[in-house]
Amino acid sequence: MSKDVLVFIECKEGTVRKASLELLSKGKEITEKFSSYLYAVVIGYQIKGIAEGLKSFSDKVIAVDNESLKDYRWDTYMTVLEQLIKKYTPGMVFGASTITGKDMFPRLAARLNGAIISDAVGIDLDGENVRIKKPLFGGKIISWVVCKPGSTSLISFRPNSFSIEKRSLNGELIEETVEAPRDSRLNILSIDKSGSKKVDIQEADFIICGGRGMKGPENFQILEEIADIMGGRVGASRAVVDSKWREYDDQVGKSGKTVSPKLYIGCGVSGALHHTMGMDTSKVIVAINKDPNAPIFQYADYGIVDDLFNILPFLKEELKRAKEEI
Amino acid sequence: MNIIVFIKQVADTEARILIKSDKKSLEIENKYNMNFFDEFAVEEAIRIKEKFKDSLITVCTYGTKKAIEALRTAIAMGVDRAFLLDNTNLDNDDPLIIAKILSSFAKKEGFDLILCGRQAIDDENANVGAMVAEFLNIPHISAILKLEVIDDKKVKAESELEGGREVIEAQLPALFTTQKGLNEPRVPLITGVMKAMKAVIPAIDPCSLGIVKEDIDTKASKITVLSYEPPQSRPPVKVIDGETPEEKVKSLVKALKEEAKAL
Ligand SMILES: Cc1cc2nc3c(=O)[nH]c(=O)nc-3n(C[C@H](O)[C@H](O)[C@H](O)COP(=O)(O)OP(=O)(O)OC[C@H]3O[C@@H](n4cnc5c(N)ncnc54)[C@H](O)[C@@H]3O)c2cc1C
Repeated sequence: MSKDVLVFIECKEGTVRKASLELLSKGKEITEKFSSYLYAVVIGYQIKGIAEGLKSFSDKVIAVDNESLKDYRWDTYMTVLEQLIKKYTPGMVFGASTITGKDMFPRLAARLNGAIISDAVGIDLDGENVRIKKPLFGGKIISWVVCKPGSTSLISFRPNSFSIEKRSLNGELIEETVEAPRDSRLNILSIDKSGSKKVDIQEADFIICGGRGMKGPENFQILEEIADIMGGRVGASRAVVDSKWREYDDQVGKSGKTVSPKLYIGCGVSGALHHTMGMDTSKVIVAINKDPNAPIFQYADYGIVDDLFNILPFLKEELKRAKEEI
Repeated sequence: MNIIVFIKQVADTEARILIKSDKKSLEIENKYNMNFFDEFAVEEAIRIKEKFKDSLITVCTYGTKKAIEALRTAIAMGVDRAFLLDNTNLDNDDPLIIAKILSSFAKKEGFDLILCGRQAIDDENANVGAMVAEFLNIPHISAILKLEVIDDKKVKAESELEGGREVIEAQLPALFTTQKGLNEPRVPLITGVMKAMKAVIPAIDPCSLGIVKEDIDTKASKITVLSYEPPQSRPPVKVIDGETPEEKVKSLVKALKEEAKAL
């Protein structure tokens, strides 16, 4: 099996998702060490510009541009990837552990009879071995896993697992035409992408998360304003989602989304285990809670013990000022 | 309608988990549950049967004898029958192999519709559903939020997309993975619990499903766990002091900027 790495690129609103750039950055580090090739595969419709933009990140950019590939479907995208993997025989295929990645990678692994490691958070090169770091039991245990030599390995990583390194590689652009018939047993009746303008919660660098302490849906307005200032996202605890103050899409935690932003601020969140399991890989955690004994302070780097309604207006002003200074 | 539900027994989120001294195995406190996302699958199957009365719901798991407890929970909720695919002497955690075993079971039993949870909360893998569908050569729809069975040939499902939703019509047989929002799983009634206690749950040797042992034993695994370690512990929280809320916020933002470099 070659030491080449192939990255499946995800796009959103005509741009490459941050999570994919993270994977290319890590992929380049690996292929540099093994003196092997890094491939970026981008699939879609009218993606020439995107493919061009990827040339600085990758040795080779493979673009499959076809109107029938405009929207993601596992049946078509998987068939394209399957054929490219068979043609270019990378040893490792990386994808993001997103809704799309989780939908397609397992099925692709089954089709290729390959090895799969999902929802990984790190990678370590130790000699010829590529060790994959994967949390288990909501982060209570970290496991180090390897794929059996000789099998194509498909590995999906949580967004925000790696940092993005800008490169200037000027890779080769390869345009491929691949037949990808649709599975006639599936018929998409409608697609609603109204939420796609929002920053994806798993990719967000900044999350301000409201808990039951926010008292009601109307008070989330200030969290929205702070998230806008920071270019991030509002999150919510399950108690908030269950009360219908926020959409399920915002839920952070075991039964919601696992997030690891650079900065997480919890407001009126108690820090129940089910919640912290979904956010404890955040780089910096801030908790604002009036109860000094709230469990969230066991996870936080910084804590403010106070009524959040007194704190938030100042926080908004100070963060705005801090942003303007940069 | 022939419905199969695949479930998994997982350690409770509160269970204590210790790494054994060989660093290659775990000791898990004896607190287990049916996987959170699988409850929605069981519930949905029961709701389909309420509409299509002559349905048969079969629940199945691949696991240790202990996992029979989770199967009993499903019976208590209202499914018709349950099977354990016994992993004794097979100890294998490779999703590819588990999917092979589960799909062999489905092939043998026959099915119109398969349901399973979006992902297991212990390994967060979200692998097995789509893999089973591939091995059975049927379509799958992940993370559904709504399922409307039109007849025994056709369903309409709504599922989560990046930043949105989509509505898909699928021909049966097909596989669906379930998530929160699909329904409210019922709490078993005492009569259900009594029935579940008495239910006979056969333990099946996966090798009896027409699979060769060499293809599913530990050596066949394509992934190997090298070691387990505890997560890095966080330093204790720094509580920000200040006379007024404004002072506290100023100190916090300063610390975030200068110390944590998070802004
Ligand atoms: C199977 C299962 C799965 C679950 N999955 C999730 C999940 O994915 N995500 C999740 O979040 N939860 C999940 N939960 C629920 C979880 O256990 C907690 O119940 C939930 O996280 C509590 O939400 P909360 O912190 O908003 O509310 P609470 O626990 O009620 O906490 C509210 C906090 O706000 C503080 N507060 C109140 N007023 C103020 C004020 N004026 N100023 C400052 N602070 C104030 C209080 O001191 C308190 O600490 C799950 C539970 C189960 C059983």
